[in-house]
This record gives sequence, structure tokens and C-alpha cells, in this order.
Amino acid sequence: MSRSTFQSGRSGKGDAFVSDRAGSLHALAMRHSARALAPLALLSIWHLVGLVGKSYEAARAEIGRPLPAIALIAFIVVVAYHARLGMENIIEDYVHDKSLKTTALIVNKWTAIAIAAVWTLAIMIIAAPR
Amino acid sequence: MADADPMSESLAAARPLSPHLSVYKLIFTMMMSIAHRITGAALYAGALLLAVYLLGLALGPSAFGAVSWIVDSFVGRLFMLLFSWALFHHLLGGVRHAIWDRGLYLDREGRELLAKATLGGGLVLTALLWIASSLLG
Repeated sequence: MSRSTFQSGRSGKGDAFVSDRAGSLHALAMRHSARALAPLALLSIWHLVGLVGKSYEAARAEIGRPLPAIALIAFIVVVAYHARLGMENIIEDYVHDKSLKTTALIVNKWTAIAIAAVWTLAIMIIAAPR
Repeated sequence: MADADPMSESLAAARPLSPHLSVYKLIFTMMMSIAHRITGAALYAGALLLAVYLLGLALGPSAFGAVSWIVDSFVGRLFMLLFSWALFHHLLGGVRHAIWDRGLYLDREGRELLAKATLGGGLVLTALLWIASSLLG
């Protein structure tokens, strides 16, 4: 495990606590992606719940506008990153069998990527001018 | 330590590994911590389901007919309600962690307050979203 360049402890008043072990990168990546997700999640959940009760044409019109489309794509890309890291924590905590853990981590990686890829492709098709 | 005897090896295998939750008495802040993890995992599964819905919406009317239950049936509405609640709950749980990262609200009263605010705030935001969505959407 290589050491990161972060300094152990609180780097300043009001700053987050970091350690100089490798886990810091994982923990900081969770926090950085979470910060981006806060506004994106609020925008996206509004448009997603807006799909309830909508017909095929109405649902496409809702999602196909530029701003919802961009928000939903940005959302799922950061979600896939954040969700993969979070699920890594869960797997590392509960799966103790070494080979099963390795498999679970690989499945988790590609599931997260597949969700983002399918979601992004779908939004791009819906938002493309016809 | 190259040749550990079988007894100590089996003891090592049986040794409880963290997080061995069952040894603790259930308390509110602890349940909220578990809820953060459960909502996170649920949002992962929910995003997968929503990706399938969006793919159906993208492919055309007949594909949409096969996936529209994900959002529009009784089960679908329940799913969307739970998904939006899980999102708000997890979002506020993240805010709670961000506050704790800065060394604030770590005392007993602070922890309890943030745990209550997470639970209550998630429910209130979910209710507000669905009310606003039915009025404006």
C-alpha cells in the first residue's frame, strides 16, 4: 500500500479529519462525490418522481429537455462512482472469504459501470432531436 | 508462527470480525448508522431498476410497455416513494457525517439531535417532494 500525501489529523480549523494511510483516498473520494451528489440528487429526484403517472410521450418529453437530461446524466455518473465505493466498504466489511470477496468486488465494479452506461445511453437517446 | 496448531487456527476462524453488531444493545444512533448503509445499498439496487426503466423508455412504446410498471403501477409508485425517501435519508445521513468529520455535534446530545434530524428530515422532505410533485408536476 502506497502512502498518500495527506497529513494525519485535522489540517485546519473546521477541516475534515484525514489519516495518511491509503484508506484516506477512499474516504475522501466518498466525501468529494457526496458533495457533488447533494445538488444533483435533489434535481434528479424531482424529475424522476415527475415520471410517475406519465404516458410514454409525456415521460419522454419530461426527460428529453436539456436541463433534466444533463442533470440525470451527471447524477448517474457520480452515483456510479459513489455507489461503487460504498458497496466496496460493505463487501470488505461482510465478505471474509478471500476469493468470494475478489469476485464480489469485480462484479460490483462492472455493475456500477453498467448502470451508468445504460442510464446515460437511454437519456441520450431520449434527449436526441428526432 | 509458520506452523500454527489446528486449535488456534480454528479459534482464529471463529473469532468475530468487525462489525459484529449482534454483541451490542440496539440504540438509536446505531440504528441510524445501519439505516445509512441499508439505504445506500437500496439506492444502488433502485438505480439499477431505474436504468432498466429508462432503457425501455428510450427503446420505444412496446419496450416501454414492458417496463412502465417500475414507475407507474402500485408497486412502482411504492418503489418510487421508498426510493425518494431512501435518497433523502441517505443525503441527510451524509450531511450528518460531514458535520461529524468537522468534529462538531459529537457529544451525546449532538449525536442524538443529528440522528433525529436525519430521520425526521428525510420523512418531511419526502412528503414535501410528493406534495409539490402532485401539485406542480
